[in-house]
Amino acid sequence: MQFSRLKNQLLARLATRFPALAKKFTDSYTPRANSGDIPWVRPAVPLPQAKLALVTTAGIHHPEQQPFDMNDPNGDPSYRAVDGNRLFADFTITHDYYDHSDADKDPNIILPLDRMQEMVGEKKLGSLAATHYSFMGHIVGPHIDTLTHCTAVEVARKLLQDEVDIVLLTPG
Amino acid sequence: MGLIQRVIEEAGIATIGISIVREYAEQVRPPRTVFLKWPFGHPVGEPYNKAQQVTVVTESLRVLYEIETAGTIVDLPFAWRRHKYDTDDK
Repeated sequence: MQFSRLKNQLLARLATRFPALAKKFTDSYTPRANSGDIPWVRPAVPLPQAKLALVTTAGIHHPEQQPFDMNDPNGDPSYRAVDGNRLFADFTITHDYYDHSDADKDPNIILPLDRMQEMVGEKKLGSLAATHYSFMGHIVGPHIDTLTHCTAVEVARKLLQDEVDIVLLTPG
Repeated sequence: MGLIQRVIEEAGIATIGISIVREYAEQVRPPRTVFLKWPFGHPVGEPYNKAQQVTVVTESLRVLYEIETAGTIVDLPFAWRRHKYDTDDK
């Protein structure tokens, strides 16, 4: 493993354990600022009729899928489509920029699939999409354009094809 | 995460994002955000704390339907490891 990966993993662990250090960690990353209009649509249907999909930047995926590229300092703008019905039976998390040891134990803390399924059972939520989407956070430099013009657009199109009404997004 | 959220909303799907770094949401300006001052890797809470996780997702979806202004960030009032979660009404 490269030294830079070990360094990132150590920093991520420290930032999670000692919140005072997290500020330093977040200051080292600057997301792309946006001005002007903010996209806006109202939910198409009430919650008890809505179909929900989850999108996360926590780097979770099926073990047989290609891991996110942790050696590129600009991050990896690609995504993995995950099958919500079998993901938690066998999953892996590829992400060096946060400490995922707790998420490894209970992935609901980064992708609340079980909680969503329960809401469907209680008829508080209409339905849950079968496919959800996983990215890796910490994307900078030229990969931001790839994300906003290609991969995120592709995911949005797939969500529309799947007739998803609402999306809940979670970070790592 | 907020950049992806903006793209999905732009495509016509209503979105809500959970943020644990308020500054990111302030700069990226996604359509709707709930903010929790919680540690990295724990946007929905602690492992196996079902009442806590239920509270976070329930509040997030409530906010998704209640926010009327694009770019709103709602600060959820749950202090990390200090809030007591009611399991009966969730």
